[in-house]
Amino acid sequence: MKVEATIGKNMQPLLRVENLVKRYSKRSLAGTPEEFLALDRVSFTISPGTTLAVVGESGSGKSTLAACLACLESPTGGSIWFEGREIANLEERARRQIRPQVQLIFQDPASSLNPRWSVMDVLAEPLILQRKFSGAEIDMRGASLLERVGLSPETLKRLPIELSGGQRQRLAIARALALEPKLLILDEALSALDCSIQAQIANLLMELQSSLGMTYLFITHDLAMAAHLADEIAVMDHGRIVEQGPVQKILKQPEQETTRQLLAAVPRITLSPPSLEQ
Amino acid sequence: MRYLLRRLGHASLLLAGVSALTFLFTAMVPGTYFDEMRMNPQISPETITALRAQYGFDRPLPLRYVSWLSSLLHGEMGFSFAYNSPVAPLLLVRARNTLLLTITSTLLAWAIALPLGIWGAERKGRLPDRLLSWGTAIFLVIPDLALALGLLVLSVRSGWFPTGGMASVDFEGLSPFNKLCDLALHMILPVTALVLSSLPLLIRHVRAAVADVLSAPFLLAASGHGIPKRTLLYRYALPAAANPLISLFGFSVGVLLSGSLLIEVVMSWPGLGPLLLEAILARDLYVVIGGILFSTFFLVGGNLFADMLLYWADPRIRTESHAR
Amino acid sequence: MKAQRALAGWLLALCALHGIVVCAGFFAPYDPAEQDRKNPYLPPMRLHLVDRLDHLHARPFVYSLKLREGSLDQYEEDTGEPHLVEFFPVGAHYRLLGFLPCRRHFFGLENARLYLLGTDAYGRDQLSRLLFGGQVSLVAGLLGAGFTLLLGLCIGAVAGYFGGWRDSLLMRLSELFMALPWLYLLFAIRAFLPLAVSPLKAFFLIVTVIGIVGWARPARLVRGVVLSAKERDFVRAARGFGATNGYLLRRHILPETSSVLLTQAVILIPQYVLAEMTLSFLGLGVPEPVPSWGNLLSSLQQYSVLVSYWWMYLPALAMVPFFLGYLGLASSLQERGAAYKMESENLGNLT
Repeated sequence: MKVEATIGKNMQPLLRVENLVKRYSKRSLAGTPEEFLALDRVSFTISPGTTLAVVGESGSGKSTLAACLACLESPTGGSIWFEGREIANLEERARRQIRPQVQLIFQDPASSLNPRWSVMDVLAEPLILQRKFSGAEIDMRGASLLERVGLSPETLKRLPIELSGGQRQRLAIARALALEPKLLILDEALSALDCSIQAQIANLLMELQSSLGMTYLFITHDLAMAAHLADEIAVMDHGRIVEQGPVQKILKQPEQETTRQLLAAVPRITLSPPSLEQ
Repeated sequence: MRYLLRRLGHASLLLAGVSALTFLFTAMVPGTYFDEMRMNPQISPETITALRAQYGFDRPLPLRYVSWLSSLLHGEMGFSFAYNSPVAPLLLVRARNTLLLTITSTLLAWAIALPLGIWGAERKGRLPDRLLSWGTAIFLVIPDLALALGLLVLSVRSGWFPTGGMASVDFEGLSPFNKLCDLALHMILPVTALVLSSLPLLIRHVRAAVADVLSAPFLLAASGHGIPKRTLLYRYALPAAANPLISLFGFSVGVLLSGSLLIEVVMSWPGLGPLLLEAILARDLYVVIGGILFSTFFLVGGNLFADMLLYWADPRIRTESHAR
Repeated sequence: MKAQRALAGWLLALCALHGIVVCAGFFAPYDPAEQDRKNPYLPPMRLHLVDRLDHLHARPFVYSLKLREGSLDQYEEDTGEPHLVEFFPVGAHYRLLGFLPCRRHFFGLENARLYLLGTDAYGRDQLSRLLFGGQVSLVAGLLGAGFTLLLGLCIGAVAGYFGGWRDSLLMRLSELFMALPWLYLLFAIRAFLPLAVSPLKAFFLIVTVIGIVGWARPARLVRGVVLSAKERDFVRAARGFGATNGYLLRRHILPETSSVLLTQAVILIPQYVLAEMTLSFLGLGVPEPVPSWGNLLSSLQQYSVLVSYWWMYLPALAMVPFFLGYLGLASSLQERGAAYKMESENLGNLT
């Protein structure tokens, strides 16, 4: 069961994206430069405490969007407003200030954790980088973070390679929470997990959202999962948002062809989220 | 075609870069070079100043490079102080001698390595292959200096082969057939040394390339179709293993001029190696530059040759370059 | 873990070999510069256990050599007096590991000179010169390889991490260096530097030259590792926590290069030792009187030596056990790398 949609609440949006453009150009020594438009005037807002799901096929620009929002890449054009502050064209030092507040969870839990580091090292890294905490504080926070995501404290000494996929993703979430971010971007974070594990992690995310008031941007190609977790859905195709709106509306009255195709791709036989049945 | 032109252009740029780099090296210590010459009693101070003026050592570096480059394009590679003759003919004669040695030994080495490598790959993991592995290891760990010197010591003590040089004292007076025999006799030691030093690695590479292909799924499928073993090997496996082998062959071609330096020096074979060494010790500037450039030319040419062979042999490269 | 044991075995063997050379002062019976002008070009002495009266001795012994009747350079054994080999005798002064003054040697003779590998033109013990020469050649190889790898690491990291024009420039440069014939380049650079310098200066000169020549391939390999490591998610995550470039390189990216550097080191070190040997053999390396494996062989360039004094060839084989050790180490590293890769793939599949 999902938390009721908080769309329309009269609060300043946490994130506002306006006409975001990202162009990649490949220059070779001989020949014309090739240009690739990854994001084509993307605009949307996310209200605090809600979840926006961005759904689309591979290559639709979702991951580029995630990278731009997390300040890991610079957009070619457009603007991003985070808590009322324009962050799209900041210089590097200011960016480093913003980054901890927007955290990214990646698709492949194995590659998002350094295989040579222990779990404790992984959890401690964001805290050490912020240089605000003493050693003892770091240990304490690490342990409490583990507890929060449902991992036992004995995993602290282990290496990521010894954990299962679900455990690794929990660890990634714990690490992302270490700096108490305002916005969590989940880039296909559940796609690489087994079905049953997906459900567990999804529930963890929901629980964290309600207890911590987290805001999520949930990127996926799976419309069913989006419907389960999100308040609003935006459908992306070839770098543009083709349709956007509350979950119910998208599911019941899809307007664009892309949306309809995505809907059709959802296997009907499996457990449909309760919100679909009405 | 465009692919080949691109590779050719790349190679030319490389050669140009190398020539500039070599020139830069030599220009970095001009003072020292002429100081050493000054200490040499055979060269008078007037000669030195004259030479400096003649070669424009007083002029700035880029100008010198350009004038050297332009004379290069006319086929002139400067002047050798030690031999008192233009560099180009000197280099050509010595290069011919070197190539005589290296072409023979390269062909011989490949002729031995290919069948042996294939034979080892076919019996991978079993006793004959292990023996081959150990055998190549033994020769791999003997440095070529030790090989060359060892062969020399053996030949000296046994008196079977002439110890060094390319021709006997009475070479000129021999009949053509005897001349050939004399040459062959003088070649035996250095060619053996060269072959022994390059064979182990070559065998290993051939064996590795063929073994990789022999364990590939497509070959298993083919043998499942009942294709006889010989056909499998020659018409299916070897063409697939050709890529690394062609690159290796290109490399062998590339080191035709430079790979035999040490052995030539040890065996007193009058090739490019000893010339370069003498020139280095005598500070014969243009011979050194010319020699290095010549061998680089072969190296770059060898790579280009391998690229062209690959292009011709591997349809994947052709389609890939056409798709661009 | 067969691969692990093989690796450990080769490592142990190499350490033992290097240990013998490092403690050359202890293992060598004499000082390498000590001359015995009365006994030039003495052939190696043979170790015996049974003397001409068929007595078995407890320790091996040698006969000293005297000139044969009526010959100026033929030697034969003086079977009158067996000289028993002493273990741990007191001998010439030396400094163990460079600083500990010591006088004990591994073996030696009481009343006579022991020449297990013969002597050279000045009557110097070839075995001692071999061991001390090993110090020079091996250290040259090790230092040179270290220098090359450091250079390659820096250049490769800059090219791979920052990309752009730096990357293109450095990669073109590396292609240039790889296009030049290695040995020729080595000779040329060495030759255009002052030829007649003190042994110490010459040593550092050739180490630098050898080190500079080979940076291109390691740099390209490092660049490849850095390029792929840069895109790994854990690096992007660290950037998300506010990491600087320096931190990322130091803590995440450069540690990934360790295996590439290790395999390169194992391949380069024997090549570089050989390079030093070649340079010294041809007179461009470490000069006399400092022994090195290369200049120990340079007397072989004289025909007379080649014909009559075969034992002067033996230093050429000194390198062989080291080469074997490095080869074994390289192949077991390769096997371990392959096994580790398979293991982590299997573990990854389990989840």
